[in-house]
Amino acid sequence: MNILIPDSWLREFLETNAKPHEVAHALSLCSVSVERIEKIGDEYVYDIEVTTNRPDLASVWGITREAIAILPRFGYKAKMNSSAGGLSKLTLVSQVDYLTVKITNPSLCPRFTAALLENVEIGPSPDWMQKRLNLCGIRALNNVVDISNYLMVELGQPTHTFDYDKIGSGKMILRESQRGEEITTLDGTKRHLPKGVIVIEDGKGRLIDLCGIMGGENSAINEKTKRVLLFVQTYDPVRIRHACQTLSFRTQAATLFERSLDPENVMPALNRGVELFEKLTGAKVVEKIIDLYPKPYKPKGVNLDISLVEQVLGIKISPQEIKTILEPLGFEILLQTASHKLQATIPSWRADDISIPEDLIEEIARVWGYHNLPSTLPTGQLPNITPNPAFYWEDKVKNTLKNWGFTETYTYSLISKSDLENCGFEPQNYLRLSNPLTEEWEYLRPSLIPGNLKVLAENQSQSEKLRLFELSHIYLPRKGGLPEEKLILTGLLSGEKFYETKGIIETLCGELGIKNLSFKPLDSKTSTIWLSGKTAVIDNQLGTVGEIKPSVLEKFGATGKAVVFDLDFTKILSLATTQKQYHPIPKYPPLIEDLSIVAPSEVLTADITEAIRKVSKLIVDVSLFDQFKNARTFRIIYQHPQRNLKSEEIAKVREKIIKVLKQKFGAKLKE
Amino acid sequence: MEEQLLRIKNQAVSLILEAKDLKELEELRVQFLGKKGELAKIIKGLPKLAPENRSSIGRLTNEIKRTIEETLERQLQQLKTHSTQESGYIDVTNPGIKPAQGHLHLITQAIEEISSIFERIGFVRRRYPEVEWDWYAFEGLNMPQNHPARDEWETFFVDVPPSKKYGSMVLTPHTSSGQMREMEVNRPPIRMINISKCFRRQWDVSHVPMFYQFEGLVIDKGITITHLKGVLDYFVQSFFGPKRKSRIRPFHFQFTEPSFEVDVSCGVCLGKGCKLCKEGWLELGGAGMVHPQVLKNGGINSKDYTGFAFGWGVERTYMMKSGLKIGDIRLLYSNDLRFLNQF
Repeated sequence: MNILIPDSWLREFLETNAKPHEVAHALSLCSVSVERIEKIGDEYVYDIEVTTNRPDLASVWGITREAIAILPRFGYKAKMNSSAGGLSKLTLVSQVDYLTVKITNPSLCPRFTAALLENVEIGPSPDWMQKRLNLCGIRALNNVVDISNYLMVELGQPTHTFDYDKIGSGKMILRESQRGEEITTLDGTKRHLPKGVIVIEDGKGRLIDLCGIMGGENSAINEKTKRVLLFVQTYDPVRIRHACQTLSFRTQAATLFERSLDPENVMPALNRGVELFEKLTGAKVVEKIIDLYPKPYKPKGVNLDISLVEQVLGIKISPQEIKTILEPLGFEILLQTASHKLQATIPSWRADDISIPEDLIEEIARVWGYHNLPSTLPTGQLPNITPNPAFYWEDKVKNTLKNWGFTETYTYSLISKSDLENCGFEPQNYLRLSNPLTEEWEYLRPSLIPGNLKVLAENQSQSEKLRLFELSHIYLPRKGGLPEEKLILTGLLSGEKFYETKGIIETLCGELGIKNLSFKPLDSKTSTIWLSGKTAVIDNQLGTVGEIKPSVLEKFGATGKAVVFDLDFTKILSLATTQKQYHPIPKYPPLIEDLSIVAPSEVLTADITEAIRKVSKLIVDVSLFDQFKNARTFRIIYQHPQRNLKSEEIAKVREKIIKVLKQKFGAKLKE
Repeated sequence: MEEQLLRIKNQAVSLILEAKDLKELEELRVQFLGKKGELAKIIKGLPKLAPENRSSIGRLTNEIKRTIEETLERQLQQLKTHSTQESGYIDVTNPGIKPAQGHLHLITQAIEEISSIFERIGFVRRRYPEVEWDWYAFEGLNMPQNHPARDEWETFFVDVPPSKKYGSMVLTPHTSSGQMREMEVNRPPIRMINISKCFRRQWDVSHVPMFYQFEGLVIDKGITITHLKGVLDYFVQSFFGPKRKSRIRPFHFQFTEPSFEVDVSCGVCLGKGCKLCKEGWLELGGAGMVHPQVLKNGGINSKDYTGFAFGWGVERTYMMKSGLKIGDIRLLYSNDLRFLNQF
């Protein structure tokens, strides 16, 4: 949470020769982050980020305490100007005649304190108070409300003020709400409560306070108020937090209570409050104050082995120095020099934050100054772990595709329900979020294709020579466990570029040591996205490559044509290898022959190639060289490892090839 | 005969010296020194000469042959170096024919750079689940249920029944879950850098719902704050530049004690203070010494081992580096080619 503290208010408590920028610098380095200093007129206002563990710093008083401990370490003088709290003429009792209190469960409210102020004159608060509140971003309303806010900023203790005469029968029951109860808060909003919110019910059975968050409208102060009940409490942080989350609203007071406030701070706040009321509203306090505090703070201790300090910081600090560091922060230190230990008694305002020795070490280290510690690289043993080869291959694939003109995309891991359906996925089979940000990002994607089709659509102006790829995770549900996060490599080329894409896949796999891929036509006529006549499935479950149906492209807002390859990268990783093979260079030249074959178009080139290859061991390579109308020319390379081949030998093989092709496919040589 | 020979020599030499190209030279060589060339004719006619003249004519013929050869060689060299063949003109300011140039995403480039910096000092690169259990993302990191610290991370929940052992299924809001994962599979010494996707329910000029973080974890005997400072200084100098410095300030995380915020000195004013920075410094991210409870949850004895961790946004850190003035972080995930193809 962020708080605003005017410098002049701080100096009412803190006497120091440090200038505002110097105060901010010292605090930022050793205590809290002063994010900004604003100059408003001739006033400086600190904008401070207070972390969740230090609610004690969310006040002028808290910052003063820190500053007094920190500033001297930077060479500035710093001491307390006046003491808060002071002597009290008030008597604390557990029963008063002006208020009957019943608390159903003490865990709801660890300390319940209230003072009755009579003869209150409602009016504006003095200029100096209004000015200070304004500098903190708080609107001044009237003296009573302003005093309450003033206490919150000065001491970090939220308080509430009731119009005493509006409390039915002078009776209060502090309890948990039931589901369905209602209260209209001070801001005029009617709120429907769930079970478990801390509320106060008066003698007339009405809810008059949403404890720790906001008071009720029915008990609020107005210009006719004559008697005020000053209410100073601490509440159970968990219930306050639960209430704020369920009701979806939060106040500064609630934010403080959520962090668990120090009940010992109640009395100083009450005393100061009474003082301000008597000064500014002409009120007279009824001397007996009701204070229900069944479990007063028992000082707790933490023992610290001083050698642990060196273990964490890396430098030695003497026990005496440690004592001078910790004492100004409120710790009582007992040094046990013989055992090189110390015993620290924790002040009430740090009770929730300091529990283990490491917590004390943080206190010592930050005041000593992290900026004062040396800086060295660790020199211990290196972990003896085989690195994950996936990163190496991913880098290789990405850079290879980049050098072939591809642009890498990063699409969102979450897609919409319609994206899923448009690609033929059944939404109920995939994981969805229970609190998505929007409909666009509701399901964990089982494919990279929808996202990249969107990229195609959004970049139509560049659509002619588009080459995209993404190498990232998809998420497949697993029963009773976390989903399988599978790496997929998806690429997209705009236009009718099937053979180019096939070539890219083959060469890319070649780069990874994966050779001899085999492509087969996609069998299914029922694919939602693939054009089945122009799509191939790669063997070994490596993936699919083909044209996307124009109707699907249209659904994503893309026009034209696109060829996509969708590869299981996890599978690729299992096959990738850096291992090379050496084949001795043949001593004798190969013989190369081209055969033009005419075969029915349903006969696959791969089948013809395979059939030719099988004919003789002398054939070291067969590939489709050219295609013209119905003739396919195959280039056949013959080689013998130990000698030159004679043309008669080749002729024999050629005859056999022609025979086999005729038998198998009804194919013949072109005339 | 002698006259004839001398005439041949003079003719040959002058023709050779006037030769303009290699072709001509070759023709001249053939003409004078070839099998059917001028000198060959003379040599054929030698036996018809009177014996007393034969040897002197023979000698002269050889001399002339040598002279012609030498002249040819000299001229050949001359032509090679001052060849007027090698003239011709093209307009060199016309566009070149460029090979294909693709583009890796900025995030990939950032990740490559960041991991290589850490790998140089012995860190092992890891990647841990993006869809995680509450235990790994929060509870194991010392953030019990209902703790206000959880609010800092606006978490996405997956619509499945929670696990009895591990709690709800979430999209991890930070790479710190990787700390629990790492301790599960490795014993100290641990030096790891986890770069993974994270998710948070935020969408504005400086936040996207899906982003990358990199998280370093070092656990060993005798690890202190000075080592954390050392690693931070090393990173900041390698990544931002040799003149840059890092500093740590007090902060709070449930899973570290002490906790820090890390700043890097401003690249523009080098720490003196200017319009672009906060008193000479820019915020980088968080860090801290691993909380003993977290070590315990990871099965490591905090009496024997200590460690530190730091976790920062990849996008943010990278954008701070080169002064890339990308005002809106959402541009990084817009996949507009006019943006991606700039890098």
